[in-house]
Amino acid sequence: MIKLKSNKTKMGVLLFILPALAIYLVFQIIPIIGSVYFSLVSWNGIAGSAPEFIGLQNYIYAFKSPDFILSLKNMAKMVIVSVIFHTPIALLMAVAINTKCKGYRLFKALFFVPTVFPLTAVGLMWYFIFMPTGSFNALLDVVGLSNLVTPWLVDSSTAMNTIVFVNIWAGVGYYMVIILAGLTTIPEDVYEAAAIDGATSVKQFFQITIPMLKPILSMCILMDIIGSVKVFDLVFAMTGGGPNGLTNLPTTLMYNEAFKYNHYGVGSAIGIIIMLICIVGTVGSNFITNRKKDI
Amino acid sequence: MKKRISGQKIIMYILLLLTAAMFAAPMIFTLLSSVKNKVEIFTNPFALPEVVQWGNYVEAWTNANMSQYFLNSVLQAGATVIVLAIVSSMAAYVLSRFQFKWNKAMLLFFMVGMMVPVHTVLVPVSYIIGAFNLKNNIPALIMIYVAFNLPFSILVVTNFMKGVNKSLEEAALIDGASYFQIYRFVMLPMTVPALSTISIFNFLGAWNNILFPLLFINDKKLKPIALGLLNFNGERGSDYGPLMAAIVITVAVPLIIYLLFQEKVEGGLAAGAVKE
Repeated sequence: MIKLKSNKTKMGVLLFILPALAIYLVFQIIPIIGSVYFSLVSWNGIAGSAPEFIGLQNYIYAFKSPDFILSLKNMAKMVIVSVIFHTPIALLMAVAINTKCKGYRLFKALFFVPTVFPLTAVGLMWYFIFMPTGSFNALLDVVGLSNLVTPWLVDSSTAMNTIVFVNIWAGVGYYMVIILAGLTTIPEDVYEAAAIDGATSVKQFFQITIPMLKPILSMCILMDIIGSVKVFDLVFAMTGGGPNGLTNLPTTLMYNEAFKYNHYGVGSAIGIIIMLICIVGTVGSNFITNRKKDI
Repeated sequence: MKKRISGQKIIMYILLLLTAAMFAAPMIFTLLSSVKNKVEIFTNPFALPEVVQWGNYVEAWTNANMSQYFLNSVLQAGATVIVLAIVSSMAAYVLSRFQFKWNKAMLLFFMVGMMVPVHTVLVPVSYIIGAFNLKNNIPALIMIYVAFNLPFSILVVTNFMKGVNKSLEEAALIDGASYFQIYRFVMLPMTVPALSTISIFNFLGAWNNILFPLLFINDKKLKPIALGLLNFNGERGSDYGPLMAAIVITVAVPLIIYLLFQEKVEGGLAAGAVKE
C-alpha cells in the first residue's frame, strides 16, 4: 500500500476513481434512495406532474390487493421448489461428473450451457414445447398418455408449476459448477482412508462429501433463494404473468403496476418489498447455518 | 465387490444419460424445428426435416430484423465491456494500491449495489431517463449496464490487483513514472486475466438483458437481440420456423463464448461464488 503525502498527488490519484463513482452514484445509489421516496408517493409517471406524498398507503394497497398476495404465493412456490430441487440435483450431477467418467466434459457442458443463454430465449424455447399444440403434448400422445395432454401454460393449475420447472432446468447447471469447484478441494486421501476402512461409496457420499461441502451447499441455497425471488425474464417471456395474472411474481407484478398501469408508487413499494424479502432471506439463512455450526 | 462397483457405475450412467436427454431434447427440438416448415413442426415434431428449410434463417435474419438486433447487441454489449474494463480497473487501482482512510469503506460502498435487486430501482431509473430525456439513448443504456455491473467488476479486479507483485511498480516509480503511466503500462497489462474474466460476464450480462431496454428503448432500430426476439414473437407468434431460427441466432453467441472460454466462465463463476 502506498501512503500519499502531498495533497496534490492525493487529488490526482482520486481522479482515477471518479468515473466509476460518478456512474455508480447516478444510476445506482441515487435510484436506491429514490426508490424509498417513490414508494411513499402517488405518481402517474407523466414527466412534469408532481408526485404527491401519501405515506405508507402504497404498501397498504399492495398487501390488500389479491394480485400481490397471489404473486407472493407464487414466489414462495418458486423459491421452495427451486431450493428443493436445485442444490440436491446439482450435487448429484457434480459428484457424477467428478468421477471423470467417459464423456464427463460433454455432460458438464450440456448441463451448464442453459445458464449462459438469455432467459427470454430459454423461456420461448420451452413456451413452444409446452404450448397446447406443442411437442410435449405430441410426445404424450405418442407414448400413449393422451389423457395427460394439457395446455400447460394456459391451464391455471399447471401454468405456475411449468414455469417453476423451467426455472429449475435453466439454473441447475450454475450450482453444479460451483459444487464441482468445491468437490475438487476435498483431498483424495480422505476417500482413500475411508475406502480402506470399508466404507461404501454411498456411505462416503453421506459421511464425507456432504459434511465437507456444507458451507458451499448452504451458500448455493442462499443464492438460490435470492435468485428465485428475482426471476423475471422467464415469466415475462413465457406467460407475461397470465393467464389472468395467475403466474405473476412480485417482479412481474411490479413491472406491470409501474410501467403498464402507471402506478409508479405501488410499483416502487413492491420493489422495496422484494428487497426486504431478499434481505430477510440472506439474514435468515445465515442465521440457520450459523446455528447448525454451533450444535 | 468389484461387480457391485460396476453395477453402481451403470446406474450412474443411466441416470446421467436420462438427465442429458432432458437437457438436450429442448435444444435439439428447437434446432430441428428451425429448419422445418410449419406443417412438419406439428405433424412430425421429432423427425428430421424432409427438406432443410434454410429459408427460415434468411427470413429471421432479414425480414424479422434479427440482423439489426444482432448488430445492436454486439455494439451495446461491446461498448459496455470496454467502458467497464477501463472504469473498474481505474477504480480498482486506487482501491488496491493506495492507502486512504476510507479505502475499505469505499469498497463496501461499491458492494451495496450487488445486494439491491434491480426491480427495486426500476422506477427511479425510469424517472431519471424521463427527466433527462434519455429515451432511446444508447450511451445512457450502456451507462446503466456499466453501473449495474460495476460492483462485481470492481470486486474481482481489486482482489486480483491485490495479489499482483509490487516490485515492477516500485521500479517504475523510482524511474520517475507517473501514477497514470504505472496504471497504464504496468498495472493494466498484468491485470489482463481478471479483465478478461469480467469482460466475459459483462458481455453475457448485456447480451442477455431485457429489463433496461424494455424500459426505454422503443425504437426498433436500436433494440438489442433478446428484446428483439420477444418482439418478433409478439408480432408474428405463429411463424414457428423463423421464430425457432431467431432463438438459435440469439443463443448462438453466448454458446460460442461459453465453448471458447469454458474454463474462464466456470472458474470465474466458482471463484466469485466462493469468495462471497
